[in-house]
Amino acid sequence: MSIALYGAARTVLEKETLLKLPFVNVMNFGIAGLIVFILPHPLTLVAAAAYFVGSTLEANAIASAIARRKQE
Amino acid sequence: MIEQIITLGLTGLIFLGAAATALWKNPFDKLIGLSLLSAGVIPLIVMRGYLDVAIVVAILIPISTIFILLLLGRKTS
Repeated sequence: MSIALYGAARTVLEKETLLKLPFVNVMNFGIAGLIVFILPHPLTLVAAAAYFVGSTLEANAIASAIARRKQE
Repeated sequence: MIEQIITLGLTGLIFLGAAATALWKNPFDKLIGLSLLSAGVIPLIVMRGYLDVAIVVAILIPISTIFILLLLGRKTS
């Protein structure tokens, strides 16, 4: 259950640099673990897997867009 | 007791994401703030028990983010 506090602390720490994406990934991992632990139901695993895949895809899309803009 | 602590932490995460989205100037930073806000919202949906709604929202949010990224790339080029 302390993964929530870990993710929140990482999110507060994440503000200082412009390279925020690795800290966003750490927070997404913590939130996915919290979704699994928060409710004892079999469908929770599917929800956590969907959230994890979606958030990782989102962060990678933002990172590739930033890299493409810096390249031009 | 532990659910109240988790609810408080998620509320803080939602307020942090909203303030960061409002205050940052770069549009990519604004997208990162929106991802923080959605990361706070989805466990609140799971805590109420609406798991199918949570699955649909967790799939639909990155698709909307990718659409906004396509619009941003089109405007610069």
